[in-house]
Order: sequence, then structure tokens, then C-alpha cells
Amino acid sequence: MIIFGERINGMYRDVRTAIVERDKSVIQRLAKAQLDGGADVMDLNVGPAKGDAVEHFVWLAQTVHEITDKPLSLDSAKADLLVQVVPRVAEALPGTKLIINSCTAAPDYMAKLLPLAAKYGTSIIGLTMDQRGVPGNVEQRVECGAAFLMGAVEAGIPIEDIYIDPIILPVNVAHKQQVHSIEAIRQLALVNDPPPKFIIGLSNVSQKCLLNHLLNRTYLVMALAAGLDAAILDAADAELIEAMIAAEVLLGKQLYSDEFVKAWKMQKGLA
Amino acid sequence: MAIPDVKQKWSGRVNTVTIGATKAEGGTRGRTVTIGGETGIPFLSFDGETPHPPAIALDVLDKAPLDWPEPLREIYGDVWSDPAAWARRAKELGADLINLRLVSTHPEEGDRSPEEAADTVRAVLEAVDLPLVIWGCDVPAKDQRVMPKVAEAAQGENCLLGACTETEYRTLAAAAQAYRHKLIALAPCDINKQKQVNILISDTGFPLTDLVLYPTTASLGYGMEYVYSILERGRLAALAGDRLMAQPVILDVGYEAWRSKEARIGDEAAAAWGPLHVRGAAWEAVTAADLLQGGADLLILRHIKAVEVVRSLIRDLLAA
Repeated sequence: MIIFGERINGMYRDVRTAIVERDKSVIQRLAKAQLDGGADVMDLNVGPAKGDAVEHFVWLAQTVHEITDKPLSLDSAKADLLVQVVPRVAEALPGTKLIINSCTAAPDYMAKLLPLAAKYGTSIIGLTMDQRGVPGNVEQRVECGAAFLMGAVEAGIPIEDIYIDPIILPVNVAHKQQVHSIEAIRQLALVNDPPPKFIIGLSNVSQKCLLNHLLNRTYLVMALAAGLDAAILDAADAELIEAMIAAEVLLGKQLYSDEFVKAWKMQKGLA
Repeated sequence: MAIPDVKQKWSGRVNTVTIGATKAEGGTRGRTVTIGGETGIPFLSFDGETPHPPAIALDVLDKAPLDWPEPLREIYGDVWSDPAAWARRAKELGADLINLRLVSTHPEEGDRSPEEAADTVRAVLEAVDLPLVIWGCDVPAKDQRVMPKVAEAAQGENCLLGACTETEYRTLAAAAQAYRHKLIALAPCDINKQKQVNILISDTGFPLTDLVLYPTTASLGYGMEYVYSILERGRLAALAGDRLMAQPVILDVGYEAWRSKEARIGDEAAAAWGPLHVRGAAWEAVTAADLLQGGADLLILRHIKAVEVVRSLIRDLLAA
């Protein structure tokens, strides 16, 4: 599974303060914890930090790139912001793979972001929602996912650069939506050959829940069994990563050995 | 109907392992042999490349074998009491490497000392300039004393030493690392154990890229399918990017094929099977041909006719 390390997000007060004060040490320490936990991609989100969001993004990307060559996921719900950020980061960090996180299946979003992804050779994450908002069922998720996929392929984005995110809602708020998201992965994987990659923002599932870690690792395993390829998660959560490794072994994606957790870490250069 | 494109996109590749060292590399070999490096399914040229054709090692024992049947006696009988002379014969017959088995160090096969084993290795190194694969006698307590001496005697020659197992790996790994040799990692027909053995060897500090895997071997008619499926699964894991399983593979075809009754029973007892001097070599060649398709990188053989057949098969498959 492709792990997007999630902690570099302006929603967290320490990150927000570090962005505004340009304090590299805080960002790099948090990023290192994600990388040490096995992150393959670093997700970057400036959140509501005061000031120029474009400059914040460029600084964050450069700061994290100083300690890793791994791909960077530029995380914002604002298409207009991403349109400005992607060219600047691509110019500042040539050779670094970028992921646009995210687009929706709404026509105005796709019109802005899909040509951008094609032009700069980035990957792109498409949410299974459109101008009507977040679907309350499986069918509309699948419909939005298919619309995004078709648009992305038409824009010339290679299939291996296309991610679909079936939108995860908190279990304490939106009952049954968690099953819908998993079913959407199953159905979209079934009708597309080769399929796009499927990704979820895992921590959403347990937002403001007391036993959030338990919910996260349980849901990750369920989604992996349905065909999940990637997740934005806290890679520093060791139990979560171990559950993921065990699931990959049980799904036949990793060859079993008695020390399969260690084997996974050795492959990543972490052990 | 259009033929579907079955070409696979693999993220991994099999490691390359070089055996032997020339003068320039600190040894005395005339040439080195490199195996592995494949980027696809065996012999599917559209799927990936095979940069190094599978290599052939010929067996040399450090004492005259008592149980080798007549077709092998005809080839080696006049030299097999002298390992150096036997090694020269193997080179004349076209071996890429010498597969030296120190069977006489076995407590019940002569119990020769580590020093005597080291002398044998030196004699073979002097007799031929081919790279060496060297095995102990498969008695761990004895091999632990013999193999470090052997590794030292062959220092700098970059030999391939066998074999580490799940329980016996520390001494051999240390000796191989100290005297700069490559290692064979043995896990009998168990791919999960194979991965575990590789992890254990790697934990000693020995590089995964200097390992050759030995999943044991079975001859045609004696469970070869199991070995074949292990080879297949290992290759697929390597190509999928599992670096712990990305090592090339050695198989002991000659030993297994010439143990089968089809390669041993005399002509009177098995008239319908055809003459033994054809039958035995054919059994060896067919076993090798099958296992090549599974992904073997280094074959240990015995009969000259099997060598000829396997060579021409490899040539044809790689040209296709």
C-alpha cells in the first residue's frame, strides 16, 4: 500500500504556527516521524494558516524536500489555490513527483485541475463528489468516480497517476457511509481495467471518536480487502502500520515469513 | 480476433550475482560468471530481459563416488579419485563453474579434517581457472569447522559457498563476509522459510545482494512440480518488488536426476525404457529443461550430453 503521511497539516496548531513563523525544525521533525513510520508520500496542507497560502505551500514543500526525495501531495480543497501552487512547487523542486490532492467530479473543478495535472505530469486524486455535494449512497459515488476517471483519462493523465477517493465520513456523524465508500471501491475496481488507484483519508473515519486508533486500523484493513491502494494516514501510528502489513500478507500482496513486519520494514529501508 | 497484449509491467528485478574473481579483482580466475538480472518471466523476451543466460556448474567430488552409475563412470571414472584432475575434465567438458562437494569431510565418509579440505580447495583452484561453488558435507557441526578454513583458503576468489539454513547460518555468513565470498541460502521447498532465512542472513550484516537461493531440487517424476511452483512464486515476488526474494536461484539437477530409478536401473531390468546410457542423461536434461522454465539461474549438472542439450535449449529460448 502507498502510505501518504498526513501530519503536515495547518489544521494542527503546531504546524500552523511553524508555517507562519517559518520554523523548519518543527515541520522536519514531524515529517521525519512520518517517513520513519513508512510514509511513501508526504501530504502537505497549509490549512487556515494566516498569510499568503501559495508562499506557505512553496515553503512547506521546500522544507520537507530538504529531508526527503519522496513525492509530495499538495492538499487543498481550493482549486484556484492549487492552480497557483502546482506550477510554483514544480518549478522550485524539479524532479520531485507531485500529487494534486484533490479534485472533484464537478465540471469546473475538472476544467481547472485536470489540464494542470497533465501539463506538470503530476498524479491527481479525484473525490467521488460533484457540485451536488457528498453522495449519501454508493451509486452516486460510483457515478462521480467514473466521471472523474473518464475526464482524467481524456485529459491525457496516465492511469497510474489517477487516484479515486470515495470520501470517508466520520462514523459518529454519518452512519453507514463507511460501508458505502468501501462498496464504491469494489464497484469502481470491477468495471475499470486497468483500474485507477483507490485512496482514502483514513483519519476522517474516527474524527472526534474516543477510540480513534482502533477504528482507523480496523477500517484500513476492511478497505484494503476491498481493493484500496493508498491511504492518507498517520504513519507514526505503529499499530496501524502493523495492521496494514498483516492485512497485506493475508491478502497475498506480501510473501509471508515469520518476521513479516520486519521484512516489510527491511524493504522500506527502515530496519 | 486480435491477440491480447499480455505483457506485464514489473517493478522489481532479480539481483545479479557474480561468482569468481580475476587477477584484476584480487583472485586468480580466468573469468567470472554473472547470473540473475532478469526483469520478467523466464524466457518471455517481450515481458522482460535476461541479461545473463543461466550458467552450468559441473559436479566434482573430493573422493571417488561409490554410487554413480555407469554412464557417469565412463566420463569421470579415470579422474574421480583426484579432484584436481576431475576439475580439469569438467572444464574440458565446457563447465562455466566447478561445483566442488567436500563429501569426504563427512564423519562417515572419511572424516577428513578442515585442513585437508582446504588443501583440496587449493588444489582445485590451481588446477582450473573457473569460478567455484563449494559445499560442505551437510553435517552442521562439521561444516562449521570446515567451511571457515575453506573460505580462508579461497580468500579473494569470490566463490559461492553452501549452504546457510534457518538454524545454521552464522558461521558460514561470517566466513563468507570475512573472506569475501557469495552465499547459498537453503530453504527446502518452503518459500516462506526462504524469506525468513534471507532475513536472518541479512541480520548478520551479509548483503542480500550477495545471496543465491537454493530451494532444493526434485527430479522429473519425484515432486518436481513443488520445486517448480516455488521457483515461480519466488520469481513473481522478486518481479513484484520484494527485495528479500530478489536473489537468483541455484538448483542441483545432476544429483537429483541420477538418484532416480529411471537413471539407474540397468538395461536388463528395464528394457522397455531404452538403453541406460541414453536414459540417464535424458532424465537429467529434461529435469533441467523444466526447471529452467521456472526460473533457475545456475544448474549443477553431471552428464556431458545433458550439458549439450541444456546449452542448446538455453540458446534457442533466448534467441526466440
